[in-house]
Amino acid sequence: MDNQVKAVETEGEAIETLRILIADDNDSDRLILQTIVRKEGHIVYTAKDGQEAIDIFKEQSPDIVLLDALMPNVDGFEAARTIKQLAGDNLVPIIFLTSLRDATSLADCLAAGGLDFLSKPYNRIILQAKIKAFASMRRLHETVQAQRDEISLHHDRLVHEQEVAKQVFDNIAHPGCIDAPNIKYLLSPMAVFNGDLVLASRKPSGGMFVFLGDFTGHGLPAAIGAMPVSEIFYGMAQKGFSLQDILREINKKLKRILPVGVFCCASMVDVSFRKHSAEVWVGGIPDVLVYRKQSRQLENLKSRHLPLGVVDSDRFNTDTTLIQLEKGDRVMLWSDGIIEACNPQQEMFGEERVMEVLRNTEDADAMFDNLVAAVERHTGRGEQDDDYTMVEVTMVGEEEMGNALGADGKSYMAGGPKDWSMTYELRPLTLKEFNPLPLITHLLMEVPGLRPHSGKIYTILSELYSNALEHGVLNLHSDLKASADGFARYYAERTQKLNELYEGCVRFHIDHHPVKDGGVLTIVVEDTGPGFDFKSKEENRHKTEGYSGRGIPLINTMCRSVRYLGKGNQVEVIFDWHVDV
Amino acid sequence: MSNPADHLDIGALQDLKEIMENEFETLVNTFISDSQNKVDELDAVLQQQDCDALRKVAHSLKGSSSNVCAFRLSELARQLEMMGKEETLEGADQVLSALRVEFRAVSDILSTNL
Repeated sequence: MDNQVKAVETEGEAIETLRILIADDNDSDRLILQTIVRKEGHIVYTAKDGQEAIDIFKEQSPDIVLLDALMPNVDGFEAARTIKQLAGDNLVPIIFLTSLRDATSLADCLAAGGLDFLSKPYNRIILQAKIKAFASMRRLHETVQAQRDEISLHHDRLVHEQEVAKQVFDNIAHPGCIDAPNIKYLLSPMAVFNGDLVLASRKPSGGMFVFLGDFTGHGLPAAIGAMPVSEIFYGMAQKGFSLQDILREINKKLKRILPVGVFCCASMVDVSFRKHSAEVWVGGIPDVLVYRKQSRQLENLKSRHLPLGVVDSDRFNTDTTLIQLEKGDRVMLWSDGIIEACNPQQEMFGEERVMEVLRNTEDADAMFDNLVAAVERHTGRGEQDDDYTMVEVTMVGEEEMGNALGADGKSYMAGGPKDWSMTYELRPLTLKEFNPLPLITHLLMEVPGLRPHSGKIYTILSELYSNALEHGVLNLHSDLKASADGFARYYAERTQKLNELYEGCVRFHIDHHPVKDGGVLTIVVEDTGPGFDFKSKEENRHKTEGYSGRGIPLINTMCRSVRYLGKGNQVEVIFDWHVDV
Repeated sequence: MSNPADHLDIGALQDLKEIMENEFETLVNTFISDSQNKVDELDAVLQQQDCDALRKVAHSLKGSSSNVCAFRLSELARQLEMMGKEETLEGADQVLSALRVEFRAVSDILSTNL
């Protein structure tokens, strides 16, 4: 039992085999030391003087060096200094062998890089203890070194990953048309990792969207949200969606993907150069400022909404403030970085100072730069380190803005299908189960610039389609819908007739033809129903009003013309549209 | 022959013998020939009045003789080392004579103890 325990203990304390260099010019001393050390289970290299010790060290790089202080040729002190240098970052414990006793000599040993002394006559127990102590010190040093190397490796990898991520972010969350002549902005190259985001896009109609976002948090988590925001912003802006549509979509997406507590404070401006106006939405970010060039007055547009990604779609509010802008008037958006920028005394720059700088600036053109300079003076830092973001948009004449979406000279009309026609026939099995309107609308929205008219087009299509299906193919009478009771009967009948339907069809003939800054969309819907005597109605100047149930008066207000053709089972709508909505 | 214990730490020597095992003979031979050279060298440097050389050689002999447990020899070497260091060679000849006698005695004891 005892033996077993002992064996385990011995194993636990098993002395590792070290490679030890012994340098002593005295043959008998060297012989004794070498014998003792070897008996401890270590590998011994011996040297007769300092130069030999250095040579062997270079060749064998031993773990511990026992060095006699006084040796011919190169003495122990000099050998110690050279060995330290050769070892570099590695810890090679040097123990001086000496019978020197005076403090100065011992201090010299330490100054030369020795860690300890071993005095003559040699004591086996002390030698053993010292070798053990320095071996564990050496291991500790190796561990620290390995961890340091690992940390530095991790750090390098992290930096590399951030660089890669930044490239991806820069490609996706690019600032769009931020270099337009009417925009000034300040955005740190690493802004995306501060959670700041600036996006700007021309609208197909010639206007401009500018978006400034500030995500909660820092680093990668803050940067992640920038990608969907940017994708939605550019994707929808270029397709002609409204500010409201875009904000609603961004809010919905962020609400879904971001964890609780992470959201995006933002402001967004929809600038119309034609109407000299702007719509502004502010959610959880410092006041958007409007600077009037003529009066040199500043107006604050306060945040009226929660940040993006906080509330569900049904509670999300897209109300904007509409402002009129004269040429030279400015709208300024910023993150709270400027207000929170601290000087060395941890004193924030503050909203007061912002307003002060703006009020004291005579030349509106210098306003932006003055503000930047004032913040930099306050923080005492260069532009490199800043983590504040600011955009100034100036109202200019439409002619100064050039082609919309057109740094590359491409018109907003480029890209999608714009000169085409199609026929789409829906037969009974399809009529029973499928609503063709979303598909057709989607197809039409691919026409560049047509998107803003989607509401009207959908209304037209849906009126024409339900007329063709219900009054045409199913031969239902709208008179039925006159009373509440009839309304229910109408729909019951509709369902029944649709279920029993085995013949008949509805045909869409759609034709789009582009004209300057817009297009002509012709929609003909034809059904296999009996038709009706539209001519007599027209002659009676009832024109379209006589068919109240058929929703035609509404359509008539939306387009150039509505005409019945054939025996009244065809209706043709001609819709003119223009980018100026 | 005088009492070995007057010249050597017998207990410590026994330990050393155990540690060195087969090497003990080599050690003794090495020590004797090495030290003989040093004693001769001490003679020479003393005649030349070379204090620094005296200090170094005596220092070396002090260390090696202490390692073979020859405490008296080590002490005499230490006295010479100090003289060299302080550059006062007065009485050094007498110390060296005593050292030579002591070295002979130590050599004899070590050799017979193999």
